[in-house]
Amino acid sequence: MLHRLRQPWSDRRAELTLGALACAVLLVIVLMVVFVANEAWPTFQHNGLRWLFPGGNVDTQINTMVNAGAKPPAADYHLRAWPLVWGTILTTGLAVVFGLIFALLASIFIVEFAPDRLRAIIVPVVRLLAAVPSVIYGLLGILVLVPFVGNHIISAHDKKSVEFIVQLSGASLLVAVVILTVMIVPIMIAICVDALYAVPRGWKEGAVALGVNRWRAMWTVSIRAARPAIIAAAVLACARALGEAIMLSMVSGSVGFAPNPFDGPRLFLLEPLRPLASTIVEDSESLQAPAVRSTVYAFALLLLFSSLLLSLAGYLAKQPMKKYGVRS
Amino acid sequence: MITEQPPPIRKILVDAPPTVAPGIAPPAGGHAATSGAAHHRRGEAGPERMTLQGLSVFYGENEAVKQVSLSIRLGEVLALIGPSGCGKTTLLRTLNRLTELTAGAQRGGTILLDGTDVDALEVTALRRRVAMVFQQPNPFPMSIFDNVAYALREQSRKRPGRSVLAPLVEDALRRAGLWDEVKDKLDAPALRLSGGQQQRLCIARAIATRPEVLLMDEPCSALDPRSTAVIEQLIGELRSDLAIVIVTHNMQQARRVGDKVAFMYLGDLVEYGPAEQIFDAPQAQRTRDYVRGVFG
Repeated sequence: MLHRLRQPWSDRRAELTLGALACAVLLVIVLMVVFVANEAWPTFQHNGLRWLFPGGNVDTQINTMVNAGAKPPAADYHLRAWPLVWGTILTTGLAVVFGLIFALLASIFIVEFAPDRLRAIIVPVVRLLAAVPSVIYGLLGILVLVPFVGNHIISAHDKKSVEFIVQLSGASLLVAVVILTVMIVPIMIAICVDALYAVPRGWKEGAVALGVNRWRAMWTVSIRAARPAIIAAAVLACARALGEAIMLSMVSGSVGFAPNPFDGPRLFLLEPLRPLASTIVEDSESLQAPAVRSTVYAFALLLLFSSLLLSLAGYLAKQPMKKYGVRS
Repeated sequence: MITEQPPPIRKILVDAPPTVAPGIAPPAGGHAATSGAAHHRRGEAGPERMTLQGLSVFYGENEAVKQVSLSIRLGEVLALIGPSGCGKTTLLRTLNRLTELTAGAQRGGTILLDGTDVDALEVTALRRRVAMVFQQPNPFPMSIFDNVAYALREQSRKRPGRSVLAPLVEDALRRAGLWDEVKDKLDAPALRLSGGQQQRLCIARAIATRPEVLLMDEPCSALDPRSTAVIEQLIGELRSDLAIVIVTHNMQQARRVGDKVAFMYLGDLVEYGPAEQIFDAPQAQRTRDYVRGVFG
């Protein structure tokens, strides 16, 4: 007679406890999404998908909601959130692209070319930088970079040319992207360095022994093999940049304005903006007003979905790489 | 038939046009390697390819290779034997200047490749002429085709297309005796092959660009006996085109594949000579003890 083999209770209890914990985490996430979506519903009900479009001044629209009181008329729900969405896309996208380029080159240098002594200093410092609270970067930005850009880079002519549209003070897309990049680069370097160290030595040696130089060996074999980890680093950095609120609120100018690339690269970079996460923080004082409440929850929902999509995109991007045996 | 003459020796110039040229493609319908073993007779020494004069390698204070002089000839397999840690792998890795990657390693003495000091060559050019197969099979995490084409692609200025590479890849895989097993799955991941197949793929990758010397660092130590036999046979076939240096601590293997054998012990070259002499009539006491298994 065959009978099913059962694990002893001492093993099964660990399995059950940990399984229950994992399910609880999953449940919390689902409930959170449902709750946020439910709270955000009124604003989508009134605006539809046009909520995402450009139109009017988003700061004026939010002010109308704040002043509308407890029973706002339907017209007061009116919102076109594009400047905030665009601000989020710009700051996150630019910072991650620059960060990725910088992190890749830096980690190649650290792993392959840096002298041992330099490496012994640089790696712990990078890890330390990854742990610096973002508000400190924000403080440096507002005290050092913003005045610098305001006094030395923005000319009177620049200010005059957009006088009737937006005020240029120094707090700008440029400063926001620079500080955000500085903020997310250390964690990307740390992940890329670990990934490059994990590439089997035999692969790199094999490439070098075939007569390619160390840079090409690194680029064609090590980086290739480390691609899944590099994607993971980009996703993590992206998530951090998406959620960054305080620092960006300090250095971005905090204006519901969409920097316009057609103003020319110079003015585009010097124009202020405000991303979604910063808007949530700044409007959280007016949550008693139902329209504001619903709108802020809608911002949160958008950020939640972005990070979910981001994880999904990262996962999908890694799939074709697994085919050739690249570890993730 | 091409087997009647020795294959042409290809000179690689540092600034030559792309290595992937139609001129080096083998004639259709077969290759010298298939009958190379029959063509070769033991004791027949080709021209000298590499010369080692008073070669020493230090790792810090430790002298891993002590004043070794040897010559490596075309059409000949030189087997380096000796117990672990005797410097044979270090010696091998010095021949394509791979020891330079090890921090703290220093080298003395001279290595000549076709009469030119290897230090005077661009290191990448040297490694293109002196290829290497490692102890652990190390195919890259790419397809089988891309593995063999890797060096061909990297060594040409313009990226050659697949139609240019395909015959060269096929030729390399045929010479490595792997073509029949993989011809239908060239785009499959190389890491999904068996260990023996992976090692033959690494050999194909190394010989695809037609190097002059092939270094093999215990190529069979991670493989099962059947794969080992396949690779040993392959070594016998390849030696008609190449000078081969193989490191092994398996004495039977050295005897089976080696034309010349060099016995090393604690960094010294103790004895060097034809395989029969080393195994049947060793001159030095330490060689005699080692080949009889007194130590090792």
